[in-house]
Amino acid sequence: MKDKSKALLTSENIIFVVLLLLGLVLPTFTNAYRLSQYSYYYSMTILALSITLVWGYAGIFSFGQAAFMGLGAYIYGILSIAAGRDGFNIFALLIAVVIMMALGAALAYFMFYGGVNDVFVGLITMCFGIALQTFMGQTAGEEWQVLGVRLGGYNGLTGIPKISLFGFKLGDVAFYFFTFIILILVYAAIRYSKITNAGYSLTAIRENRSRSELFGFDVPKIQVIVFAISTGLAALAGVLYSVWGSYIAPDNLSMTQSTIPVVIVASGGRKNPTATVLFAILYYFLSGKLAASGSSLNYIILGAILIVVLLFIPEGLFSTLFSKMDKYILRRA
Amino acid sequence: MILVFRHLYLFLDSFSFLLLSALGLSIIYGMMGIINQAHGEFIMLGAYFTSLLSVALHIPFIISIFLGAILTGFLGLLLDRTIICRLYSRPLDSIVVTWGISLILSQGIRIILGNSVESISTPLGSFTIGNEKFSTYRMVLVAVAVITLMVVYYIFNHTEFGLKARATMQRSDIAKSLGVNTDKMYAATFFIGSFLAGLTGGLYSPTMMVVPTMGTSFNMQAFVTVIVGGSNPILGSFLSSALLGIVNSELSGWAGSFAGQIGLLIMAIIFIRICPLGVSGLVDRLKAVRR
Amino acid sequence: MKKLSKRLFAAAMMTTLVSFSVAGCGGASSDDLPKVQGATRDSSIQDADGVIKIGIMEDLTGECALLGVQKVHAYQKAIDEINEAGGIDGMPVEIDLVDACSDNTKYQELSRKLILEDKCDVVMGCATSASREAVRPIFEDNNAILFYNNQYEGGVASHNVFCTGLVPEQQVVPLVPTMMETYGKKVYILAADYNFGQITALWFEQEVENNGGEIVGTEFVPMGTTQFSSTITKIQDAAPDILVVLAAGSSQTTFFEQWSTSGIKGLPMMTTVNIAQMYEHLQFDPPALANMHVVANYVMELETEDAKAFTEKMKNAFPDDAYFGMEAAASYEGINLYAKAVENAKTTETEAVIAALEEGITLEHMPSGTITMNGDTHHVTKDLVMIRCDETHELHFDANYSQVAPDWISKTLGINIKESAPNKQYTPLDTN
Repeated sequence: MKDKSKALLTSENIIFVVLLLLGLVLPTFTNAYRLSQYSYYYSMTILALSITLVWGYAGIFSFGQAAFMGLGAYIYGILSIAAGRDGFNIFALLIAVVIMMALGAALAYFMFYGGVNDVFVGLITMCFGIALQTFMGQTAGEEWQVLGVRLGGYNGLTGIPKISLFGFKLGDVAFYFFTFIILILVYAAIRYSKITNAGYSLTAIRENRSRSELFGFDVPKIQVIVFAISTGLAALAGVLYSVWGSYIAPDNLSMTQSTIPVVIVASGGRKNPTATVLFAILYYFLSGKLAASGSSLNYIILGAILIVVLLFIPEGLFSTLFSKMDKYILRRA
Repeated sequence: MILVFRHLYLFLDSFSFLLLSALGLSIIYGMMGIINQAHGEFIMLGAYFTSLLSVALHIPFIISIFLGAILTGFLGLLLDRTIICRLYSRPLDSIVVTWGISLILSQGIRIILGNSVESISTPLGSFTIGNEKFSTYRMVLVAVAVITLMVVYYIFNHTEFGLKARATMQRSDIAKSLGVNTDKMYAATFFIGSFLAGLTGGLYSPTMMVVPTMGTSFNMQAFVTVIVGGSNPILGSFLSSALLGIVNSELSGWAGSFAGQIGLLIMAIIFIRICPLGVSGLVDRLKAVRR
Repeated sequence: MKKLSKRLFAAAMMTTLVSFSVAGCGGASSDDLPKVQGATRDSSIQDADGVIKIGIMEDLTGECALLGVQKVHAYQKAIDEINEAGGIDGMPVEIDLVDACSDNTKYQELSRKLILEDKCDVVMGCATSASREAVRPIFEDNNAILFYNNQYEGGVASHNVFCTGLVPEQQVVPLVPTMMETYGKKVYILAADYNFGQITALWFEQEVENNGGEIVGTEFVPMGTTQFSSTITKIQDAAPDILVVLAAGSSQTTFFEQWSTSGIKGLPMMTTVNIAQMYEHLQFDPPALANMHVVANYVMELETEDAKAFTEKMKNAFPDDAYFGMEAAASYEGINLYAKAVENAKTTETEAVIAALEEGITLEHMPSGTITMNGDTHHVTKDLVMIRCDETHELHFDANYSQVAPDWISKTLGINIKESAPNKQYTPLDTN
C-alpha cells in the first residue's frame, strides 16, 4: 500500500495536481477575456493529445490532424445552424465526433489494411488535408450548401452557435469549465489507457510491428481503432474551437495548422500526455503574447525555441524535466 | 498540330516545374531519410540571392543563378553542420526542426530584406506557333531541368562520390566499416539538395514575385512528386514528374487549376496505397520479376 | 564532451523556460502601465481612462505583411498628426499595435484582447475578407467598433463595422461601361478562387451583361497558385477583348509576369485591386502590367493637391517604404473619421460614436480629397479616378468620377443600417 502511494508521488503527478487546482480556481482571479482564451488553449490541447495518442503511443504519424479537426467543426457548424435549436447542439457535437470517427476508421482501413505505414501514413494524411483545404476553399458559391447551410468558401462558416446543457447556454465561465472538464477526461483516459492491455498492445505496435504480429496481435485492427479514436478527439477539439470562435474556415485545415500540434507533442514530450498538456498551453499562451506585443519577431522566437528544445532536449522539454525532478528532488531513479 | 503542341508545351512546363521543385527535396529524403520542411524556404533563398545579385550588383543573370544556388548550398551546409547533423538518427524530429528553420528563414528574410525585392523580368520573350504564343523561357527551363537531372544522375552513378553516397544510403553501417566517412557524405548530400533548391529558386525568380512566403508555393508540388517518386531519388523524381506532369497539365487544361491541384493530391494518395515505394519502387520490382 | 553537452542541455532548458516566463510577464506588465493623466482636464470628451486608445490589428508577419506595413504606417502618421495638434479635442490618442500574423485565429484572439482586456475605444484592422468575417461577430457581440480600411467585395451591413475602403459599386460599376465602349464586348474573367474573387467576378458578370457584353470564359484559380501556363493558353483560346484579373496575394500576382512574357501584347485588362493596392507596376518590370485599368481613390502617383500632400508627408515620415497605395489612404482616413466622430460625440462611448458617424461626417483634404461617411451603409463616398498603366508602367488618369457613393446596400437591398442593422454580409446572389 505504501509502495503504491509512493509510486504515485512523481513530479509529473504533483505538477499535474497543482495545475488541476490552478485550472479550477482560475475563474476566481481572472477576467472573462482571459478565461475565454484558456478555453481556446484547452481545445487546442485536446488536438495535441490526439497526436500523443496516435503518434506517441501507437507510433502512427498523422499529418492531417487539423483537417480532421476542421471537418469535425464544419459538421458541428452545419448541423447546429441547420437545426437552429440550442438544445440540439450537444447532440450535434456527438454526431460530429461519431461521423469523424467513422471517417477516420475508413481512412485508416484504407491505409493499414493496405500495408501503408510509417512516414507514408504521414504523407497520405498530409495529402488528404491539403486536398480537403483546397476543396473547402472554393466553396464560396451558392451551389455549395449542405442542409441549407452555405459552406462559405475561404471566408468559412460563421455564426456557429454555442452549446447548451440542460437548457442553459454555456457562457464564458461555463464554457471554460466545459472545455476544462473535457480536457481532463481526455487526459485521464489517455493516461489510464497506458496501463491497460490496450495500452500495452499500442506500445508493442509502436516498438515493433512485425514482432507484435507474431505474438498474435491483430496489428491493422488495433491501428484502425486507435486512428479512429484519435480522429474523434481531433473532431472534438474542432467542435470546441468552432464554438469558441463561432467560426471555422479552410485556413484552420492547413498544413501549418496540422504541423503545430505535432511540433507541440514532439517538443513537450512525445510519449507523455502531461508534458503535451503543459507544452500546448504554454505554446498557445506564448504565441498569443508574442502576437499581442506587435513585434515581427513572433515566428523567429517560436522557431528558435523549437530548434533548441529538439536539439538539446530530445526527449521533450517536460518529459525530461519530470525525470530530472524525480531524480534530483524526489531522489528517485 | 497546334493542338498537339499546346498539350506538349503545357505538359513540359508542368514537368519541369515539378522536377525542379522536387529534385533537391527528393535527394535529401532519399539519401538521408530527412523530410526537409524548409525546402521551400531554400528555394526562396535562391530566388532572393539571384535577384539581389542580378539587380543590385548587375551580375549577368545566368551567373547570378549559379552564384545564388551556391550560396544557398553553403547555407544548407551550414545548417546541416550546426543543426541537421544532430538529427540523422531521428527523421521524425527532423520534420519539426526543419519546420522551425523554415519559420525563421522566411520571417528573418522579411526583417532583413523587406517585404519583397525586385527581380529581373523574364528573359527571351516568346515564340509563335500557328496563331498562339508561347514563352521561350519556359522551354529553356525544361532543357535546364533535363540537364540538371542528367548531371545529378552522373554524379550519383558514375563518380566515386556517388558510389560512396549510394553505399551510405543503402547500408550506412557497412559503408562506415569500409572506410566511408558517412558524415561527410550526408553533409555533401545536403549541400547538393540545398544547391538544387537554390537553383530552382533562381530559375523561377524572374517568373514570380520574390517574397518571403514564395517558398510555400513550391512545397505541395514538391512533396507530392517525392511521394509518388519513391525511394530512388533520381529515377523516381524523373518518372513521377513525367506522370504527374501529364495529370496536372491535362486536368488544369480541361477543368482549371483547381482540378489540376486536387488531381495531384488524389494521385499521390492512391499511389501510396497501391505501391508505397513509389514509381521507382515499381520499376525495381518489375526489374526483379524479369530476372 | 559529456560535460559540455550537459551544460548545453541545462542552458537550453533554462533559456526555454525563461523565454516562456518573460513572454508571460511582458504582456502582463504592459497592461498595467499607468495611463496618461492630466490631459483629461482640458478635454470636454468623456472617457474612462483619459486617453483614447486605438487598437491596430494588421499583419506584420506572413502572407499579407506586404500590405499590413503600409497600413500601419498610415495609422501612425494620422495619429501622430492628431497628437501633435493636441489630441482629439485635447485628449491624447494612444496606439495599441498587435500583429495578427496573417492568421485568422490570431485575429479572433487579438480582437477579444483589444476589446475586452485592453479596453480599446476602437479597433482598426483586418486585411482579407476572411479575417474580417472571422472577427465581425466578436465586435457585434461585444458592441465594439471596427474600422475595416480595405478595398473588398462589398456588402457588409453591420451596426459595428465601418468600411472606408472601396467596394464594387464604386469600382466595377463605373469601370465596365467605359472599358467596353473603348475596347469591345467580349470579356474573360480570371479570379482568385475565394470569396473576394468569386463575388467580385459576379459583379463584373452582372455589369458586363447590363452593358450588353458577353462573358467568353471564367476561371477561378486556387489561392497560392503560381504557375499559369494552362490558364494563359485558355485565355488565348477564348480571344476576349478585355480580360478581368482579380489576382489575390503575392503568389497569384505572378500571373502578370507570366502573362506578359507569353507574348500576348496589349490586351486591355481591368481589376479592382492590382496597382492601387500592392503596386505591381513597380514590383514587376514593364510591360507586365501594360494596359491594366483600375478605379481607385488614391495612388502615390496621383497629382491632385490632396494626394500630393499625403504622399509627401508619408515619404518624409517613412523614407524606407516602397509604396503607399489606396489602403494606406483608407487607413489614414479611417483614423480621421473616427477622430472627428469622437469630437462630435464628445465621448468615446460606442453607441454615441456610432451615432456620430451615422450622421454623415464629411472631411476635406484627405488623401482622396473630400470624403463622406455614408450613414445608411457605413461605407465612404469618395472621389475616384480611372488609372491606366501603359507599357512603360507609367500611370495615366483617364477619367474622373466625382463623389461616388457606396449605396448598393441601401439602394438595391433597401437596407438602412441606421434604422436596423442585419449584421451580415450580402452578395449579388441575395438580390435574386
